[in-house]
Amino acid sequence: MGERTEQVITLSLPSSMRHVYLLRAVVTEILKEADFDEGTQERINLAAIEAGTNAIEEHGDREDPGKSTIFQLILNEDGLTINTIDEGEASTHKAPEIEQVITLSLPSSMRHVYLLDVVVTEVLKDSDFAEEIQEQINLAAIEAGTNAIKHGNKENPSKKAIMQFLLDEDKLTIIVEDEGEGFTRKEVADPLDPENLLKSSGRGLFLMEACMDSVTYEANGTIIKMVKYKT
Amino acid sequence: MQVNVRNKGSITILDIEGKIIGADALALKSIIDQQIQTLSSEAEHGENLNLIFNMERVQMMDSTGLGILVAAYTTIRRNEGRVVLLNLGGNIRSLIVMAKLMTIFDCYNTEAEAIGHFL
Repeated sequence: MGERTEQVITLSLPSSMRHVYLLRAVVTEILKEADFDEGTQERINLAAIEAGTNAIEEHGDREDPGKSTIFQLILNEDGLTINTIDEGEASTHKAPEIEQVITLSLPSSMRHVYLLDVVVTEVLKDSDFAEEIQEQINLAAIEAGTNAIKHGNKENPSKKAIMQFLLDEDKLTIIVEDEGEGFTRKEVADPLDPENLLKSSGRGLFLMEACMDSVTYEANGTIIKMVKYKT
Repeated sequence: MQVNVRNKGSITILDIEGKIIGADALALKSIIDQQIQTLSSEAEHGENLNLIFNMERVQMMDSTGLGILVAAYTTIRRNEGRVVLLNLGGNIRSLIVMAKLMTIFDCYNTEAEAIGHFL
């Protein structure tokens, strides 16, 4: 599981106060795993929110959702370190008025899969997607993340699984990238084939495709792009 | 995710609560494997290997979790035991239907019915 290694989780958020809650949700979840008592957890959480608010407010002159604020959460046996990185002008290549990009970068360990659930749930909370659709998107994101962590990066914690969430007016796009060798979609066995029904794995891609409106495989399968439309 | 194990006669009930995803799904696998091992060693020919997975408080399950249920099913059957699923929520049921596993698992909506399966 690589407990001895340092776990670096990176969360990149548009510099807007409405995204501070996402930082809070992620920190809360990470702290559940750490050995801090409840009072300490609350204080760390407060400090994280203060740091997040500060970074966003002081980013340039004011809030600017076209820019990103990057939070680096480093968890090791000594404790949790939260670094704030000002990305400055570097991230302005996305059209800010249409899309808000949230990026989560995780060490490739199955213990971090639940963070995807946390982030997707938070991203979708204020969206127009019906609850049932939100559950489908959540499942697809978890499957894509698991695929990147387990099959792509072979659970090597020094390799990153990177997920991008782009929410715009008519759709949500999720892009998941791993550092693995890739795969060919056609060569993956059909889990609905009677001879595969009782297998204990191999349903991830099928579920992603069933839950999303489109799933495309790029860069030899190391990048998976999934889209769900609002209507 | 949390699992509470209780017994009703020769039937072992696992009350599962939370989300069966990622590492939690793997934790569930260890708990199930341990139960199967203990119950199999206690009796010959699966006499006591009667399991109910109570899914009432399961909010979500991913393919890792589903794979673990399938693996549990095949292991229990191989050991001449039986397993049923109790109280599937809408999203869990859809997942099992989508994966064409509804014909594999015996599913019940009440504990009394689930227990009746073994009598």
